[in-house]
Amino acid sequence: MGGENKIEMGTSENGFIKRAMVIGGGIAGITASIDIGNAGYEVLLIERLPSIGGHMLQLSETFPTLDCAQCTLTPKTVETGQHPRIRLHTYSEVVRVAGRAGNFSVQIRKKAAYVDWEKCTGCGLCQQKCPSRYPSEFDRRMGLGKAIYTLSPQAVPNKPVINPEHCRYFLEKKCRVCEKICPVGAIHYQQEDRLIEEKVGAIVVATGFDLMPVERFGEYGYGEIPDVIDGLSFERLNSASGPTNGEIRRPSDGRIPKEVVFIQCTGSRDPERYMPYCSRVCCMYTAKHARLYKHKVHDGQVYIFYMDIRSTGKGYEEFIQQTMEEGILYLRGRVSRIFREGEKIVVWGVDTLTGKKVEVLADLVVLATAIVPHQETKTLAQILGIHSDSYGFLTEAERKLKPVETNQEGIYLAGCAQGPKDIAETVAHANAAASKVQALFATH
Amino acid sequence: MKKLGVFICHCGVNIAGTVDVKRVAEEIGRTEDVCHSVDYIYMCSEPGQQLIREAIQEKRLDGVVVACCSPSMHENTFRKAVKTAGMNPYLCEIANIREQCSWVHQKEKEEATRKALQIIQATLEKVRRNEKLEPLAMSLHRNVLVIGGGIAGMTASLDLAQGGYEVILVEKSPALGGHMAQLSKTFPELSPAFPGLLAKASEIEAHPKIELFCYSEVEEVKGYIGNFEIGLRKKTTYVDWTRCNGCGLCIEVCPIEYPSPFERGLGVRKAIDFLYPHCIPRRVFLSSTQCPYFKDRSCGRCAEVCPQRAIQFDQKEEKIERKVGAIVVATGFDLFPNEKLGEYGYGEIPDVIDGLTFERMLSPDGPTRGRIQRPSDGRVPKEMVFIQCVASRDPDRYMPYCSRICCMYTAKQATIYKKQVPDGQPYVFYMDIRSDGKGYEEFLQKTIEENGILYLRGRVSRIFQEDGKVKVWGVDTLTGKRVEIGADLVVLATAIIPSEGVKELASKLRATVDKHGFLTEAHIKLYPVESSTRGIYLAGCGQGPKDITDTVSQASATASKIQALLSTDKLFQDPLIAYVDETICSGCGICVEICPYEAREMDLRRGISVVHSALCQGCGACIAACPNFACELRNSSSIQTLRMVDTFI
Repeated sequence: MGGENKIEMGTSENGFIKRAMVIGGGIAGITASIDIGNAGYEVLLIERLPSIGGHMLQLSETFPTLDCAQCTLTPKTVETGQHPRIRLHTYSEVVRVAGRAGNFSVQIRKKAAYVDWEKCTGCGLCQQKCPSRYPSEFDRRMGLGKAIYTLSPQAVPNKPVINPEHCRYFLEKKCRVCEKICPVGAIHYQQEDRLIEEKVGAIVVATGFDLMPVERFGEYGYGEIPDVIDGLSFERLNSASGPTNGEIRRPSDGRIPKEVVFIQCTGSRDPERYMPYCSRVCCMYTAKHARLYKHKVHDGQVYIFYMDIRSTGKGYEEFIQQTMEEGILYLRGRVSRIFREGEKIVVWGVDTLTGKKVEVLADLVVLATAIVPHQETKTLAQILGIHSDSYGFLTEAERKLKPVETNQEGIYLAGCAQGPKDIAETVAHANAAASKVQALFATH
Repeated sequence: MKKLGVFICHCGVNIAGTVDVKRVAEEIGRTEDVCHSVDYIYMCSEPGQQLIREAIQEKRLDGVVVACCSPSMHENTFRKAVKTAGMNPYLCEIANIREQCSWVHQKEKEEATRKALQIIQATLEKVRRNEKLEPLAMSLHRNVLVIGGGIAGMTASLDLAQGGYEVILVEKSPALGGHMAQLSKTFPELSPAFPGLLAKASEIEAHPKIELFCYSEVEEVKGYIGNFEIGLRKKTTYVDWTRCNGCGLCIEVCPIEYPSPFERGLGVRKAIDFLYPHCIPRRVFLSSTQCPYFKDRSCGRCAEVCPQRAIQFDQKEEKIERKVGAIVVATGFDLFPNEKLGEYGYGEIPDVIDGLTFERMLSPDGPTRGRIQRPSDGRVPKEMVFIQCVASRDPDRYMPYCSRICCMYTAKQATIYKKQVPDGQPYVFYMDIRSDGKGYEEFLQKTIEENGILYLRGRVSRIFQEDGKVKVWGVDTLTGKRVEIGADLVVLATAIIPSEGVKELASKLRATVDKHGFLTEAHIKLYPVESSTRGIYLAGCGQGPKDITDTVSQASATASKIQALLSTDKLFQDPLIAYVDETICSGCGICVEICPYEAREMDLRRGISVVHSALCQGCGACIAACPNFACELRNSSSIQTLRMVDTFI
């Protein structure tokens, strides 16, 4: 792992600092960091969660090849952690940025993990023994996590943090099991947030996306009906490392659903109520979900409500065609109402191709909710002095010809922070940001 | 006897759900030379790697087998891990018990466990005879060839040149710009396409690090990553470009006009002319098939009038050779040939045109100076029909894939039309509206609402001429009703296909293409700009249809990969390649013929065959072919392979 190994800072004769900071440790930030690091420059990779990987680590398989997402991602996270020129600052946030290209002063808050990571060996005993269990955010609250946790067994870095909101010691001054069990004395309840100062010459912003909070979708029964979930939750249900070990079971009673309804454009393309834009990835991941479900539940029936099918990437249209051939029913139309009737969820909609009303009695409903910028992106934009649009997506310098540059020299964009995109587009976008950083450093 | 360690990964439940990993660890642990055998939930995790490192140091292991997923996933991870513990990385091997065992035998747990044991035993046989190897170091040329001078190739070239690397930019037409130079405005902002493009082209022309070869093609590619040898063919323009100053006097006096391919047949060019107005480089070229001088030596007025004496009727093609370290393929797209679209009336009905032709009509520099008029009679069309997905998404007849940009450019074109002809009515036939880029959906909504463009969801069944109109029959699948429109002009959004000659180029580069001719990336998600051949990178529509924004990102992405590649002066390659036992080799030369990578060569002086280590990919074809058993593969020797096979029978 990268750890705290010393990295010499490259500086040119005129004082231009040739070292980059990448904010966000998802696939965009990882890609940009590796590219810049491979070119010989030092990189500070800042991630707000305890380990890198981002949303891609939550995915089960990726379209259109149905490759296991973790399997393709973990070699990258490991490479990042072992990279001699990348230094990780996970569980950290950027607080302040001053200066300009070639000489940014950055203040970073390293959040209190309540674990001394210098001492911790990542043995995992503390997590095994911790008695406090609560719904895990990583598993979209469908599985239980511990108060002292890592995001996954393959976490990079593999160091745990304590969530004081759930830790018995912080709540009741009791327990201290982790402290007692830790063989190296790494538990440190008195640890406080730490502010550190760094100097960098260029910044890549790769803060990624969130799904639109499902609480806002009352009309879809979300919150009220436990078996109405969002797309990322379905990824966890379908993931071999997820809360059901990859068996698709509905949250309410653990039964295998026989009729599943997927609803696309939930919160997207809906200018009057939610977001006017298209979230770009939902058509494809819904088709993927439907197929993965069919592969596991052969006698199950899938219905997909859609507005337009958008499968514009390489091999995507062909993937949709195959999906339709597997007996998945596409219904063109919006859903008007979802309500519970006994153990079933009733979905009312209209098939605009026949003009008829449709009623489906479903066991599980999956909403493909809108992609929104990560909630802290706007604040970060202010800290960096870069522009964002009314939804909070960061604004590129020029729509067509400068898709990764910003209004500030030396600050570049990568991935979904700039707008919704799929993994392949995110990777190319992040490579592009890295190219700009390399060119900037080469010319000074 | 060697001391071997075996590390068995659960991969969560991916392996342990099927294979009894505890039993496997125990049984393997009983093997005589295995002095360490353990299982763990995720070997690739930091604690998993630590287990390996500690065992190597504590037990002084001299060989490691990690039983886990495919070596294409984590071989690198584990080889790095053993290296940090002081072991030669080539003494570490992967036994694939996931893709080749647990995943395919999920219902047969007992058999899967037995198979896992066998796979590990076989891999142990290999490790027992593995040698310590060092990576091969190669020198490299720190410059780049970019093939294609459209927006993709231009962006990649500028990024690389700004990064300090020398670039050789080759464009097959006489000027930079590619298809983007033909566009009127870009969506969704409706800003003119040309100024931004022109600025980039000027920058390229003036850049000291970029050597530009227009009207040139790549003839030959030899070599490998870091050391490519390139042969270029500079076609004849019949104009000495070092003398031509672009004054244009020759164009004025040239008596021959013919339909301009750049103007998609809407306008004309002279036999000697620019590729398009304001093109860069601002140099004329002469079409020998049109010029009367080449028919019967009549004319020659251009040569008379040229103040620079730049006209060279006897100009010959030039061959140019260069050595480069990396190659960007940015060969772009063509539109599906209209002649093949007979049922849309193309060719027969002059007022049925394609999207790029309409772009020329909309361009202020174009043949109509931006005025929308029917090609047949020059009248302003009052009813216009746009048809999307022409030859796209049509697996039975044409291309199965989506061409990605047509929904947006059609909306753009309909908007521009409506602004120019406020009392006109545009109709758009579509299958699904695909506006998934930033600001695209909003643009489309606005377009439909504010401009009164009528979107009809359905395919068109017939197009024919009647009473000076183009009749379009179709179905609106939302109402289920038949639609008949008497249009003045019909624009077809035809499918995007790879540009001509890409297949031939790809075979010269040893890069792969898919069945449609698009170049194939190394991994659809994580390596979108790397080709299947190391050192060759893909930018723009040659890899698949994409809009300008995505093309620019991808082009910059190739530049990032190449800057990282060329940032060192040595390249390292796996040493797992063929070698020759010189005492046995009879010099028969069979291996030279069979090698698909041109990595085998005869050493005529010594009468034996040798291996070109940088070219060898370790495929093993020569080993199978050698009648004398003189060839072997490093760490996959015949004895290793036979021992491995023995464990299975």
